[in-house]
Amino acid sequence: MVDVVEGRRNWALGVGFLLALGALLCNLVFFVSPPGQRVIPWLSALLGAVALISIARGLWCAFAQPKVYRGRILNSLLSLVSLLLVAASMFAFFHARALPRSAGAPQVGQQAPDFMLADANVQPVSLTQLFAPAVDDPRAIPPKAVLLVFYRGYW
Amino acid sequence: MAISVDPPGVSRDLCKKAGYTFTVLSDPSADVIRRYDLLHVGGGPDGHDISRPAEFLVDSSRVVRWVNFTEDVRVRARADEMLAAARSLH
Repeated sequence: MVDVVEGRRNWALGVGFLLALGALLCNLVFFVSPPGQRVIPWLSALLGAVALISIARGLWCAFAQPKVYRGRILNSLLSLVSLLLVAASMFAFFHARALPRSAGAPQVGQQAPDFMLADANVQPVSLTQLFAPAVDDPRAIPPKAVLLVFYRGYW
Repeated sequence: MAISVDPPGVSRDLCKKAGYTFTVLSDPSADVIRRYDLLHVGGGPDGHDISRPAEFLVDSSRVVRWVNFTEDVRVRARADEMLAAARSLH
């Protein structure tokens, strides 16, 4: 009598793959900058961690019970892809957060250092001059405040 | 006002492409970036030194009234947060 073992789907591996994909796709959400976006890096890390557990479980199933969870090559391939997805999302996580401490930057209540820099038309712009009343137009009201946005550049 | 290490030519192209009307300043030697302690050594492509992202709301006495230092470059400052900080100034 032939011993027929019923095949089962490797749910753990499937879930692991979806979680790994989710962890990487979290990065797309940043493009819309939603409220509460600060939690997304940690959500991505959590999805990655659970993905790893699920993938490990899936691999164990595939190799410990090969007659039940058939397709060792396919399972191995799916695991590899999933692990690469997790690796990519973790690389993005650490790279995006590798920033200098900037302990010496002016804090609230401190003075912002003055400067003179060239604008896009190579005209000099100084922080103190910006707040000074305009010489040529006495009706012009100087700004009450200025928002300085330091950005990475190379866009 | 936006500040980065990009030279004025690059900033001008960026403003034209994105339709920005605010002032964009160039700090190619990163002197001002260093003065504000925002230098990110090797943070740019090809290992160039750039600024880390940071926003400061500075009043007419050059006193900082609001700051935003992100811990993650993907988490960008939201316009509503910056506007709320600006409106809170009396």
